[in-house]
Amino acid sequence: MSNLLSLLSLGSNAIQAQNTGLSIATNNVANVNTRGYSRQRVDLHALMGAPLVGGVTAGSPERLQDNLLAGRIRTAGGSLSMSTAFHQALLDVESRMTSSGPTIHEQLGKLAARMTELTATPTDTITRDTVISAARDVNSGIRRRAAELDTAQEEANARIQEKAAQVSTLAIRLSQTNLQVQKSGDGALRDERDRIANQLSELTGGTARIDGDGHMRFVLDGGAMLVDGNNAAALRPILDPATGDQRLEVVAGTLRRDVTANITRGSIGADLQVRDSVIVKARDDLDQLAFDISSAYNTAHRANAGLDGVSGRNMFTQPTQVAGAAKAMALDPALDADPNVLATAAPGGAVGDNAGAKALLTVASGNVATGGKTLVGAALDIVSSIGIAASEAKSDIYRDTLFHENLAGLRDSLSGVDIQEELSNLARFEHATSAMTRFVATVDGLLGELINRL
Amino acid sequence: MRVTGNRMIDLATGATASGQARVASSAQEVTSGMRVTRPSDDPSAYIAAERAKLHRNLVDGSTRAVQTSRDRLDQVDAALAGIGDVISQIRSLAIQGVSATYNASDRAQIAEQVHSLTRTAIGAGNVRAVDGEYLLAGSASLSAPFSSTGAYTGNADTRDVSTSATSSVRATISGADLTAANGGVDVIPLMERVFSALATNDTAALAGTLDELAKAVEQVGLARTRVGGSMAVLDATVLAHGELTESLTTTISNAVEVDSIAAASNLAKASQALEVSRTVSSHLIALLKLA
Repeated sequence: MSNLLSLLSLGSNAIQAQNTGLSIATNNVANVNTRGYSRQRVDLHALMGAPLVGGVTAGSPERLQDNLLAGRIRTAGGSLSMSTAFHQALLDVESRMTSSGPTIHEQLGKLAARMTELTATPTDTITRDTVISAARDVNSGIRRRAAELDTAQEEANARIQEKAAQVSTLAIRLSQTNLQVQKSGDGALRDERDRIANQLSELTGGTARIDGDGHMRFVLDGGAMLVDGNNAAALRPILDPATGDQRLEVVAGTLRRDVTANITRGSIGADLQVRDSVIVKARDDLDQLAFDISSAYNTAHRANAGLDGVSGRNMFTQPTQVAGAAKAMALDPALDADPNVLATAAPGGAVGDNAGAKALLTVASGNVATGGKTLVGAALDIVSSIGIAASEAKSDIYRDTLFHENLAGLRDSLSGVDIQEELSNLARFEHATSAMTRFVATVDGLLGELINRL
Repeated sequence: MRVTGNRMIDLATGATASGQARVASSAQEVTSGMRVTRPSDDPSAYIAAERAKLHRNLVDGSTRAVQTSRDRLDQVDAALAGIGDVISQIRSLAIQGVSATYNASDRAQIAEQVHSLTRTAIGAGNVRAVDGEYLLAGSASLSAPFSSTGAYTGNADTRDVSTSATSSVRATISGADLTAANGGVDVIPLMERVFSALATNDTAALAGTLDELAKAVEQVGLARTRVGGSMAVLDATVLAHGELTESLTTTISNAVEVDSIAAASNLAKASQALEVSRTVSSHLIALLKLA
């Protein structure tokens, strides 16, 4: 009798164990399309019993996930996010420098062509007007492109500000999820925590680690702790009055740490790099170009005379320094008002002399820009360098995508749900449950018979 | 390696998306005819094309300058031809005037003709371009080079026109070529002298101008030869510029435009790859449904 009761108990335990397996498999199937879900598995353990009765019990459900792999995926995600955002931002800057009208190098080329015509007809009013008009176009083109760079910088700052707010929100959610994981240890919460960490990595390029206490800690490059267990710091944008740019600080209570220079990956890293490297370089190059154009043309223009015989006048307003020369660039007011001021003749020479026009043409075609380049070449280099960077960023996207995809395949291999596999598991557990139900019924029948005979 | 059904679908979807992107890109190339529209498409091709475009613009500017100079030389040549005709006519009249069969009254009548012809020659010498510039004034080109007495008030400067970044050609001659500056005769004042000799019935002085008139005819002919030489150089320059422009256009086209046959072939390949990818996807989905 006691053995039959043990068998009933064995059957009950076995049904419970198989039901655990059924529920795990069902949960896996239910989450087959849940992004970031890690499949679970339950191991059944045989129970060792006294001579004849053993049984089975289900272990704790195991979440199939590799923290090392998850870390590599986060790192790869940060790099992919960086290259994608960097490429997009570079395309935007490239578009600002090349679209909506002629480029600066095209305008300088047109000015050079007009200068050539001026050597043939230096006294012709129409030719002089077209030269001045081309110079005006160069001037307005450079100022417009400089303004476009300012807009690109403002937009980068706005993106940085917006993403910093997202990071702060995600940091709070991560700290809260840490707390919930600590309380329940549920696999779905751990998946949620991984997803938040992934988003943080995509934004900042930082890394997450799970320490011995089970807490996830999120650290930015350079060591600033963004999330430490249940505590979250904020990533706060601070306006730098000197540059007008947003700097980034990690603020934890009263502690503040500037991390602007440390965030070099993730989409924020991309925005910072575009803002602090690409746009700054383009602006510096544009300022240098504007300074070189004004200085070189002014030197030639001052040395020659206009139709009124007067020499010593500038063609452009002479900038006092390189910084800001592009935005301040302007045609000399005297020349702007009177085309006769255009210095096409040698000083003291007759008005029809074209020595001045030839000198201006020499500036247009000579290596007068910084670095021994022509002015046109220097202007072309500005857009080319942005194009080269964008092209390289596109290659980086390809490389990072391949790497990320490969890691995603590895993760799926370990943590992904396979419906066929889960359906097989369901069938196995279902069959075992049915068999054990019949077994329990049989033992129950035997017990009934026994009780009736007593 | 364990590969899940979802992973297989992801891979198939990724391949289809990438195939669609390739088809879209190839179709865009075929329809637009452009392979490179911005620097990042192909930086080296963009730079090569832009350099060629800039060079072509300069050549176009230079061609316009040369054409303008060529047109002006045509005007100068016509003016010199007119002056040459006038001198020849005046020389014929001078030869008549020297003849003993003519009397003072006859010479006075001839003098009137010479005077009128001299005015014509001065007008031709003061030939102006459409912008009003005096073409035979040297660089003093905003003032008439020949006074009412035929005195030359211009200078001997000539103007070079740039044909490239490093070279230029002479594109004008000055009215000084019609003066005694280089061992010649003062052509228009000589006409005035013929007029005076005829008007004053001074046959000796008139006879004395005959040789100079012959020299003047040669001198004008020489000036026209110079003009012709410059015109020939300018014509050759225009021709060379045309060839250079064509070559630069080819360079630009090779750098940024699509080879239509290659582009069509790429589109066909991309379409085929997309079709295969779609077939694989549909088979895969059917397989997973069956499972």
